[in-house]
Amino acid sequence: MNTLVIGFLIGCAFGAILFLGGATSYRKILGTLRLRDMTIIKLMLTAIGVGSLGIYLLDLGGLAHMSIKPAYIWGVIAGGAIFGIGWAVSGYCPGTCVVGASEGKLDALFTLLGALFGAFLFSLAFPVLDSLLLQPANLGKVTLEDLLGIDGIYLAIPFSLALLYLAFFVLKDRYE
Amino acid sequence: MSDEPIISWKVAGVALGLLLTLATFLVSPLGVSTQFVVTDAMVTHQIAPQFAEANAYLAKYGEKENWGIGYGWMLVFGMLVGGGVTAALLRSRQPEQDQGSMPPMWQARFGPSRMKRFTAAFAGGALLLFGARLAGGCTSGHMISGISQLALSSFIFGVTTFAVAILVARFLYRKNASSEVVS
Repeated sequence: MNTLVIGFLIGCAFGAILFLGGATSYRKILGTLRLRDMTIIKLMLTAIGVGSLGIYLLDLGGLAHMSIKPAYIWGVIAGGAIFGIGWAVSGYCPGTCVVGASEGKLDALFTLLGALFGAFLFSLAFPVLDSLLLQPANLGKVTLEDLLGIDGIYLAIPFSLALLYLAFFVLKDRYE
Repeated sequence: MSDEPIISWKVAGVALGLLLTLATFLVSPLGVSTQFVVTDAMVTHQIAPQFAEANAYLAKYGEKENWGIGYGWMLVFGMLVGGGVTAALLRSRQPEQDQGSMPPMWQARFGPSRMKRFTAAFAGGALLLFGARLAGGCTSGHMISGISQLALSSFIFGVTTFAVAILVARFLYRKNASSEVVS
Protein backbone atom coordinates (compact mmCIF):
# COMPACT_ATOMS: atom_id res chain seq x y z
CA MET A 1 0.00 0.00 0.00
CA ASN A 2 1.04 3.51 -0.76
CA THR A 3 2.45 5.52 2.17
CA LEU A 4 -0.04 8.33 1.57
CA VAL A 5 -2.95 5.94 2.05
CA ILE A 6 -1.29 4.40 5.12
CA GLY A 7 -0.75 7.87 6.57
CA PHE A 8 -4.38 8.78 5.96
CA LEU A 9 -5.72 5.60 7.58
CA ILE A 10 -3.41 5.86 10.60
CA GLY A 11 -4.45 9.50 10.96
CA CYS A 12 -8.15 8.52 10.87
CA ALA A 13 -7.59 6.03 13.68
CA PHE A 14 -5.48 8.56 15.64
CA GLY A 15 -8.20 11.22 15.32
CA ALA A 16 -10.91 8.77 16.37
CA ILE A 17 -8.94 7.63 19.45
CA LEU A 18 -8.28 11.21 20.57
CA PHE A 19 -11.97 12.09 20.23
CA LEU A 20 -13.28 8.92 21.88
CA GLY A 21 -10.74 9.07 24.72
CA GLY A 22 -11.66 12.65 25.64
CA ALA A 23 -8.31 14.18 24.64
CA THR A 24 -10.12 17.06 22.92
CA SER A 25 -11.85 17.99 26.18
CA TYR A 26 -10.71 21.25 27.78
CA ARG A 27 -12.08 19.89 31.07
CA LYS A 28 -9.92 16.76 30.84
CA ILE A 29 -6.74 18.56 29.72
CA LEU A 30 -6.95 21.31 32.34
CA GLY A 31 -8.08 18.71 34.86
CA THR A 32 -4.77 16.91 34.32
CA LEU A 33 -2.70 20.10 34.37
CA ARG A 34 -4.45 21.17 37.59
CA LEU A 35 -3.59 17.71 38.96
CA ARG A 36 -7.21 16.84 39.68
CA ASP A 37 -8.34 14.51 36.93
CA MET A 38 -5.65 12.11 35.79
CA THR A 39 -7.46 10.71 32.73
CA ILE A 40 -5.19 12.28 30.11
CA ILE A 41 -1.88 11.59 31.82
CA LYS A 42 -2.94 7.98 32.42
CA LEU A 43 -3.91 7.70 28.74
CA MET A 44 -0.50 9.06 27.70
CA LEU A 45 1.45 6.85 30.12
CA THR A 46 -0.41 3.79 28.85
CA ALA A 47 0.22 4.73 25.22
CA ILE A 48 3.93 5.26 25.89
CA GLY A 49 4.10 2.06 27.95
CA VAL A 50 2.60 -0.01 25.12
CA GLY A 51 4.41 1.98 22.40
CA SER A 52 7.91 1.69 23.90
CA LEU A 53 7.54 -2.06 24.30
CA GLY A 54 6.06 -2.42 20.79
CA ILE A 55 8.75 -0.31 19.13
CA TYR A 56 11.68 -2.05 20.84
CA LEU A 57 10.18 -5.47 20.11
CA LEU A 58 10.02 -4.43 16.45
CA ASP A 59 13.59 -3.19 16.76
CA LEU A 60 14.73 -6.67 17.86
CA GLY A 61 13.79 -7.88 14.39
CA GLY A 62 15.18 -4.75 12.73
CA LEU A 63 11.62 -3.77 11.77
CA ALA A 64 11.25 -0.39 13.49
CA HIS A 65 11.41 2.76 11.36
CA MET A 66 12.48 4.98 14.22
CA SER A 67 12.72 8.74 14.04
CA ILE A 68 14.80 10.23 16.86
CA LYS A 69 14.75 13.99 17.34
CA PRO A 70 18.06 15.73 17.98
CA ALA A 71 18.75 16.79 21.57
CA TYR A 72 19.75 20.46 21.17
CA ILE A 73 19.31 21.16 24.87
CA TRP A 74 18.48 24.90 24.86
CA GLY A 75 16.05 24.80 21.97
CA VAL A 76 14.19 21.81 23.41
CA ILE A 77 13.90 23.42 26.86
CA ALA A 78 12.88 26.86 25.51
CA GLY A 79 10.48 25.32 22.99
CA GLY A 80 9.02 22.98 25.60
CA ALA A 81 8.41 25.90 27.97
CA ILE A 82 6.68 28.01 25.29
CA PHE A 83 4.67 24.97 24.24
CA GLY A 84 3.63 24.39 27.87
CA ILE A 85 2.23 27.93 28.15
CA GLY A 86 0.27 27.49 24.92
CA TRP A 87 -1.03 24.14 26.10
CA ALA A 88 -2.38 25.47 29.40
CA VAL A 89 -3.83 28.63 27.83
CA SER A 90 -5.61 26.96 24.90
CA GLY A 91 -6.34 23.58 26.44
CA TYR A 92 -5.28 21.94 23.19
CA CYS A 93 -2.11 20.59 21.63
CA PRO A 94 -1.37 20.59 17.87
CA GLY A 95 -3.04 17.20 17.33
CA THR A 96 -6.09 17.73 19.52
CA CYS A 97 -6.85 21.17 18.06
CA VAL A 98 -7.13 19.51 14.64
CA VAL A 99 -9.55 16.89 16.01
CA GLY A 100 -11.42 19.46 18.14
CA ALA A 101 -11.87 21.63 15.04
CA SER A 102 -13.21 18.61 13.16
CA GLU A 103 -15.84 18.22 15.92
CA GLY A 104 -16.94 21.78 15.16
CA LYS A 105 -15.47 23.37 18.30
CA LEU A 106 -14.70 26.99 17.46
CA ASP A 107 -12.11 27.40 20.22
CA ALA A 108 -10.21 24.47 18.70
CA LEU A 109 -10.48 26.07 15.27
CA PHE A 110 -9.02 29.33 16.66
CA THR A 111 -6.21 27.31 18.26
CA LEU A 112 -5.54 25.69 14.87
CA LEU A 113 -5.44 29.07 13.12
CA GLY A 114 -3.17 30.43 15.86
CA ALA A 115 -0.95 27.38 15.41
CA LEU A 116 -0.59 28.07 11.68
CA PHE A 117 0.33 31.65 12.60
CA GLY A 118 2.80 30.49 15.26
CA ALA A 119 4.52 28.18 12.78
CA PHE A 120 4.80 31.12 10.39
CA LEU A 121 6.31 33.33 13.12
CA PHE A 122 8.82 30.59 13.85
CA SER A 123 9.83 30.47 10.19
CA LEU A 124 10.61 34.21 10.40
CA ALA A 125 12.61 33.81 13.61
CA PHE A 126 14.35 30.62 12.48
CA PRO A 127 17.70 32.12 11.35
CA VAL A 128 18.24 33.87 14.70
CA LEU A 129 16.99 30.98 16.83
CA ASP A 130 19.02 28.50 14.83
CA SER A 131 22.33 30.06 15.78
CA LEU A 132 21.17 31.03 19.29
CA LEU A 133 19.42 27.88 20.53
CA LEU A 134 19.60 25.07 17.99
CA GLN A 135 23.27 24.88 17.04
CA PRO A 136 24.91 25.15 20.49
CA ALA A 137 24.74 22.21 22.92
CA ASN A 138 23.40 19.84 20.29
CA LEU A 139 23.96 16.28 21.47
CA GLY A 140 22.44 14.84 18.30
CA LYS A 141 19.87 12.10 17.85
CA VAL A 142 20.63 10.17 21.02
CA THR A 143 18.49 7.67 22.88
CA LEU A 144 18.87 6.18 26.36
CA GLU A 145 20.16 3.09 24.56
CA ASP A 146 23.09 5.11 23.18
CA LEU A 147 23.70 6.97 26.44
CA LEU A 148 23.65 3.97 28.74
CA GLY A 149 25.11 1.45 26.31
CA ILE A 150 22.36 -1.05 27.16
CA ASP A 151 20.23 -2.78 24.52
CA GLY A 152 16.99 -0.85 24.05
CA ILE A 153 14.73 -3.80 24.81
CA TYR A 154 16.27 -4.22 28.29
CA LEU A 155 15.43 -0.58 28.96
CA ALA A 156 12.02 -0.68 27.29
CA ILE A 157 10.67 -3.63 29.32
CA PRO A 158 11.18 -2.14 32.82
CA PHE A 159 10.32 1.37 31.54
CA SER A 160 7.07 0.12 30.05
CA LEU A 161 6.14 -1.82 33.20
CA ALA A 162 6.89 1.21 35.38
CA LEU A 163 4.67 3.51 33.29
CA LEU A 164 1.80 1.01 33.19
CA TYR A 165 2.11 0.48 36.96
CA LEU A 166 2.01 4.25 37.46
CA ALA A 167 -1.07 4.61 35.26
CA PHE A 168 -3.03 1.63 36.55
CA PHE A 169 -2.13 1.56 40.24
CA VAL A 170 -0.52 4.79 41.45
CA LEU A 171 -2.20 7.83 39.92
CA LYS A 172 -5.59 8.65 41.39
CA ASP A 173 -7.98 11.49 40.68
CA ARG A 174 -8.16 14.17 43.30
CA TYR A 175 -11.22 16.35 43.63
CA GLU A 176 -11.54 19.24 46.01
CA MET B 1 -25.29 10.68 30.71
CA SER B 2 -21.83 9.77 31.92
CA ASP B 3 -19.23 12.45 32.57
CA GLU B 4 -16.50 10.17 31.34
CA PRO B 5 -15.19 9.96 27.75
CA ILE B 6 -16.78 7.44 25.37
CA ILE B 7 -13.88 5.01 25.77
CA SER B 8 -11.80 4.69 28.94
CA TRP B 9 -8.20 5.88 29.18
CA LYS B 10 -7.13 2.24 29.34
CA VAL B 11 -8.70 1.37 25.98
CA ALA B 12 -7.59 4.66 24.38
CA GLY B 13 -4.05 4.34 25.76
CA VAL B 14 -3.56 0.75 24.62
CA ALA B 15 -5.08 1.55 21.20
CA LEU B 16 -2.78 4.56 20.79
CA GLY B 17 0.30 2.54 21.81
CA LEU B 18 -0.59 -0.19 19.31
CA LEU B 19 -1.27 2.40 16.59
CA LEU B 20 2.14 3.97 17.25
CA THR B 21 3.78 0.54 16.99
CA LEU B 22 1.96 -0.14 13.71
CA ALA B 23 2.93 3.27 12.29
CA THR B 24 6.58 2.72 13.28
CA PHE B 25 6.51 -0.70 11.60
CA LEU B 26 4.87 0.50 8.36
CA VAL B 27 6.35 3.98 7.77
CA SER B 28 7.43 6.09 10.76
CA PRO B 29 6.13 7.22 14.19
CA LEU B 30 3.28 9.66 14.75
CA GLY B 31 3.85 13.41 14.45
CA VAL B 32 1.74 16.47 13.86
CA SER B 33 3.51 19.80 14.29
CA THR B 34 5.76 19.70 11.18
CA GLN B 35 2.64 19.63 9.03
CA PHE B 36 1.64 23.11 10.18
CA VAL B 37 4.85 24.38 8.58
CA VAL B 38 4.18 22.34 5.45
CA THR B 39 0.71 23.90 5.22
CA ASP B 40 2.14 27.40 5.77
CA ALA B 41 4.71 26.71 3.07
CA MET B 42 2.03 25.60 0.60
CA VAL B 43 0.05 28.77 1.22
CA THR B 44 3.01 31.17 1.08
CA HIS B 45 4.32 29.52 -2.07
CA GLN B 46 0.95 30.29 -3.66
CA ILE B 47 0.65 33.87 -2.39
CA ALA B 48 4.25 35.06 -2.30
CA PRO B 49 6.58 32.52 -3.92
CA GLN B 50 9.68 34.74 -3.72
CA PHE B 51 9.17 35.38 -0.04
CA ALA B 52 8.68 31.65 0.58
CA GLU B 53 11.84 30.70 -1.29
CA ALA B 54 13.88 33.34 0.57
CA ASN B 55 12.74 31.94 3.93
CA ALA B 56 15.14 29.17 4.94
CA TYR B 57 12.45 27.32 6.88
CA LEU B 58 9.53 27.58 4.43
CA ALA B 59 11.66 26.94 1.35
CA LYS B 60 12.00 23.32 2.42
CA TYR B 61 8.33 22.56 1.69
CA GLY B 62 5.48 23.43 -0.62
CA GLU B 63 7.14 23.85 -4.01
CA LYS B 64 4.98 23.42 -7.09
CA GLU B 65 6.69 20.17 -8.09
CA ASN B 66 6.69 18.89 -4.55
CA TRP B 67 3.95 20.23 -2.34
CA GLY B 68 5.20 18.40 0.69
CA ILE B 69 2.10 16.24 0.91
CA GLY B 70 3.58 13.03 2.21
CA TYR B 71 2.83 10.46 4.86
CA GLY B 72 2.90 13.09 7.63
CA TRP B 73 0.50 15.52 6.00
CA MET B 74 -1.94 12.77 5.09
CA LEU B 75 -1.80 11.58 8.69
CA VAL B 76 -2.93 14.99 9.97
CA PHE B 77 -5.55 15.21 7.22
CA GLY B 78 -6.74 11.77 8.35
CA MET B 79 -7.08 13.06 11.93
CA LEU B 80 -9.41 15.75 10.65
CA VAL B 81 -11.52 13.20 8.75
CA GLY B 82 -11.39 10.38 11.31
CA GLY B 83 -12.08 12.74 14.23
CA GLY B 84 -14.86 14.51 12.35
CA VAL B 85 -16.65 11.35 11.21
CA THR B 86 -16.41 9.70 14.64
CA ALA B 87 -17.66 12.88 16.30
CA ALA B 88 -20.59 13.15 13.87
CA LEU B 89 -21.61 9.54 14.54
CA LEU B 90 -21.14 9.49 18.32
CA ARG B 91 -21.73 13.09 19.36
CA SER B 92 -24.76 12.11 21.45
CA ARG B 93 -22.54 9.93 23.63
CA GLN B 94 -19.94 12.63 24.27
CA PRO B 95 -20.26 14.09 27.81
CA GLU B 96 -22.32 17.28 27.61
CA GLN B 97 -19.58 19.31 29.35
CA ASP B 98 -17.16 18.44 26.56
CA GLN B 99 -19.41 19.65 23.75
CA GLY B 100 -19.49 23.11 22.23
CA SER B 101 -16.96 25.92 21.90
CA MET B 102 -17.16 27.36 25.43
CA PRO B 103 -15.85 24.94 28.06
CA PRO B 104 -17.81 25.29 31.35
CA MET B 105 -14.58 25.26 33.41
CA TRP B 106 -13.27 28.21 31.37
CA GLN B 107 -16.59 30.08 31.74
CA ALA B 108 -16.67 29.60 35.50
CA ARG B 109 -13.28 31.29 35.73
CA PHE B 110 -13.16 33.77 32.83
CA GLY B 111 -16.81 34.49 32.12
CA PRO B 112 -19.05 33.89 29.10
CA SER B 113 -17.21 36.14 26.57
CA ARG B 114 -16.61 34.19 23.37
CA MET B 115 -14.16 36.87 22.25
CA LYS B 116 -12.01 36.25 25.32
CA ARG B 117 -11.98 32.48 24.87
CA PHE B 118 -11.23 32.61 21.15
CA THR B 119 -8.45 35.20 21.62
CA ALA B 120 -6.84 33.00 24.26
CA ALA B 121 -7.26 29.97 21.99
CA PHE B 122 -5.57 31.77 19.08
CA ALA B 123 -2.71 33.08 21.24
CA GLY B 124 -2.30 29.66 22.84
CA GLY B 125 -2.20 28.04 19.41
CA ALA B 126 0.52 30.45 18.25
CA LEU B 127 2.63 29.62 21.33
CA LEU B 128 2.05 25.89 20.79
CA LEU B 129 3.46 25.83 17.30
CA PHE B 130 6.24 28.34 17.92
CA GLY B 131 7.34 26.18 20.86
CA ALA B 132 6.86 22.90 19.03
CA ARG B 133 8.94 23.96 16.04
CA LEU B 134 11.66 25.32 18.30
CA ALA B 135 11.76 22.06 20.27
CA GLY B 136 11.37 19.88 17.17
CA GLY B 137 8.03 18.26 17.97
CA CYS B 138 4.82 18.28 19.98
CA THR B 139 2.74 15.99 22.18
CA SER B 140 2.56 13.28 19.53
CA GLY B 141 5.99 13.54 17.92
CA HIS B 142 8.01 14.30 21.03
CA MET B 143 6.05 13.01 23.99
CA ILE B 144 4.20 9.93 22.71
CA SER B 145 6.48 8.84 19.84
CA GLY B 146 9.76 10.29 21.13
CA ILE B 147 9.60 9.02 24.70
CA SER B 148 8.43 5.62 23.42
CA GLN B 149 11.66 5.50 21.39
CA LEU B 150 13.56 6.48 24.57
CA ALA B 151 14.91 9.63 22.89
CA LEU B 152 16.80 11.96 25.24
CA SER B 153 15.40 15.13 23.61
CA SER B 154 11.84 13.89 24.11
CA PHE B 155 12.36 13.23 27.83
CA ILE B 156 13.64 16.80 28.19
CA PHE B 157 10.67 18.12 26.21
CA GLY B 158 8.14 16.08 28.20
CA VAL B 159 9.43 17.16 31.61
CA THR B 160 9.76 20.86 30.66
CA THR B 161 6.37 21.03 28.97
CA PHE B 162 4.47 19.38 31.81
CA ALA B 163 6.25 21.43 34.48
CA VAL B 164 5.51 24.73 32.74
CA ALA B 165 1.94 23.80 31.76
CA ILE B 166 1.12 22.75 35.35
CA LEU B 167 2.50 26.03 36.71
CA VAL B 168 0.58 28.10 34.15
CA ALA B 169 -2.66 26.17 34.78
CA ARG B 170 -2.16 26.72 38.51
CA PHE B 171 -1.67 30.45 37.92
CA LEU B 172 -4.69 30.74 35.59
CA TYR B 173 -6.92 28.96 38.12
CA ARG B 174 -5.37 30.42 41.30
CA LYS B 175 -7.66 30.26 44.31
CA ASN B 176 -8.44 33.91 44.97
CA ALA B 177 -9.04 34.62 41.30
CA SER B 178 -12.56 33.26 40.86
CA SER B 179 -14.06 36.41 42.39
CA GLU B 180 -12.54 38.54 39.62
CA VAL B 181 -15.01 37.22 37.07
CA VAL B 182 -17.58 39.75 35.97
CA SER B 183 -20.36 37.93 34.21
